Amino acid sequence: MNDAAPPPQPQAPEAIEQSLYEVRHKIHPRAVSGWFATWRWSLVWFTQLIFYGLCWVPWHGRQAVLFDLAERKFYIFGLVFWPQDVFYLAILLIVAAYSLFLFTAIGGRLFCGYACPQTVYTEIFLWIEKKIEGDRHARIKLDGEPLSARKFSRKAAKHGAWIAVALWTGFTFVGYFTPIRTLASEVTNLSLGPWETFWVFFYGFATYGNAGWMREQVCKYMCPYARFQSVMFDPDTLIVTYDAERGEPRGSRSKHDDHRSSGKGDCVDCGICVQVCPTGIDIRKGLQYECIGCSACIDACDQVMDKMNYPRGLIRYSTENAMLKKWGRKEIIGHILRPRIMIYGAILVFIVGAAAVGLASRMPLKVDVIRDRGTLAREEDHDMIENSFRLQIMNVSETPRRYTISVSGLAGIEIESDRVVDIPAATTRSVVVEVHAPAGSGKQEFNRIYFEVKAVADEKIAVREPASFIMP
Amino acid sequence: MKRLVWVLWPSFVVAGVAEVLFFTLIDPQELYLFGAPANFSRMAVYSFGFFGFWAICAASSLFTCFIQRSPDEVNVCMAAATCKDRVRP
Repeated sequence: MNDAAPPPQPQAPEAIEQSLYEVRHKIHPRAVSGWFATWRWSLVWFTQLIFYGLCWVPWHGRQAVLFDLAERKFYIFGLVFWPQDVFYLAILLIVAAYSLFLFTAIGGRLFCGYACPQTVYTEIFLWIEKKIEGDRHARIKLDGEPLSARKFSRKAAKHGAWIAVALWTGFTFVGYFTPIRTLASEVTNLSLGPWETFWVFFYGFATYGNAGWMREQVCKYMCPYARFQSVMFDPDTLIVTYDAERGEPRGSRSKHDDHRSSGKGDCVDCGICVQVCPTGIDIRKGLQYECIGCSACIDACDQVMDKMNYPRGLIRYSTENAMLKKWGRKEIIGHILRPRIMIYGAILVFIVGAAAVGLASRMPLKVDVIRDRGTLAREEDHDMIENSFRLQIMNVSETPRRYTISVSGLAGIEIESDRVVDIPAATTRSVVVEVHAPAGSGKQEFNRIYFEVKAVADEKIAVREPASFIMP
Repeated sequence: MKRLVWVLWPSFVVAGVAEVLFFTLIDPQELYLFGAPANFSRMAVYSFGFFGFWAICAASSLFTCFIQRSPDEVNVCMAAATCKDRVRP
């Protein structure tokens, strides 16, 4: 950023104090309707019904999806994840990353334009703004007016509605980490814990700030994805494109003019594509990093083209190659299946498949063996050596189970303490196990032994863990 | 404002990642504070932990911003009798 600074002039330092940043001009996006807007709204509904609704779905007496931070257990319907399952979190992140690569390579910033929370909440907040303050022109006018009772009441109503949505969003967010029904009764009783209260307000404030105030600045200045998106683009990536060859030279004209004979292109230069743009850019200048691929300009331009009785698609989804080689829809679709896409797709299918197999064959029992750090080995009478271990037994399933513990690996080795342990559903229990072995049964120092923990009701649920038995 | 965003925003993102990694591996109840077991609720430790990570990461971002100034900017600042005329990038 400093590269852009002009060379300072030490002779007259007082002359160089100036802000080097463009002043942000508030953008008043004009509402738009059309095919892509309908898609975006469908995705707003889809994602938000899941987000606001899923936390209320019950499942066998508990919340179906709950990331219980206090208990360090993540519940997703029938699955319970423990910190030991961090592997699956890594898989999830890899799948998310590859999906992003895949979708970006095919259709540009599809995620940004349709599914990114920043877009989704901005869309909801813009809808509220439009309902209360009116569309673009009314809002520009209202912002230009001096403060009056009318302006104040409109603004207050808007911010009130925004804050209500933001707080509900914050409450829902926290409801994924603390059981939401408990949270709701705590809110109604005004007995919400300090940290829950804090995070509801923190997340609510972030939503209000990002969707109400920051808007396109989040995409332009804060989002890392916007900066490296071009790495995933290639000449066959579908991007929102202005057909300059068809549109230029642009200019206004009457609907009945034969603009071709007067040397004009199809662009009537109405500027609506700029007015509807949530990041305030002019798509006619070509691909810009600020473009979030929301296609609002496509919808807007198509409507203008319809009014002018020109063919649609002056601004459309197209690819660099298609523009150069004048491909039609068929060739563009034909080029979607290219090596890059197939490689991304194959990796994605493989990882998802492997994770699914891993999940399906997951052992609902985990055992960690920890040596007693206090005493290494103890000589008992009758030439027996005792080692003690602590077995951390995790019942990862949702049914309480009884397990037997056995040990093997040395002649005559056996467990002196309890060999049967009952563990409730989704619980960890630490069991101290005293193991005896005859003094001559192994070599001095470390001997490999194995603990086997087996469910009584189901022989298949069994875990064999190695450990070291120390002979003095 | 821009500088504030540069410092606070990347550190927020990195603090989030650090928080997830750290607390996935370490149970807050196994932590010790000044030699005594930390007797706070897990929610409290997670929250303090996050803001701790954020503060540390922000300090790093701030330092980056500080040393990012070009030699010219530093010289202008040193040449001036007072520092009030420095270039603000």
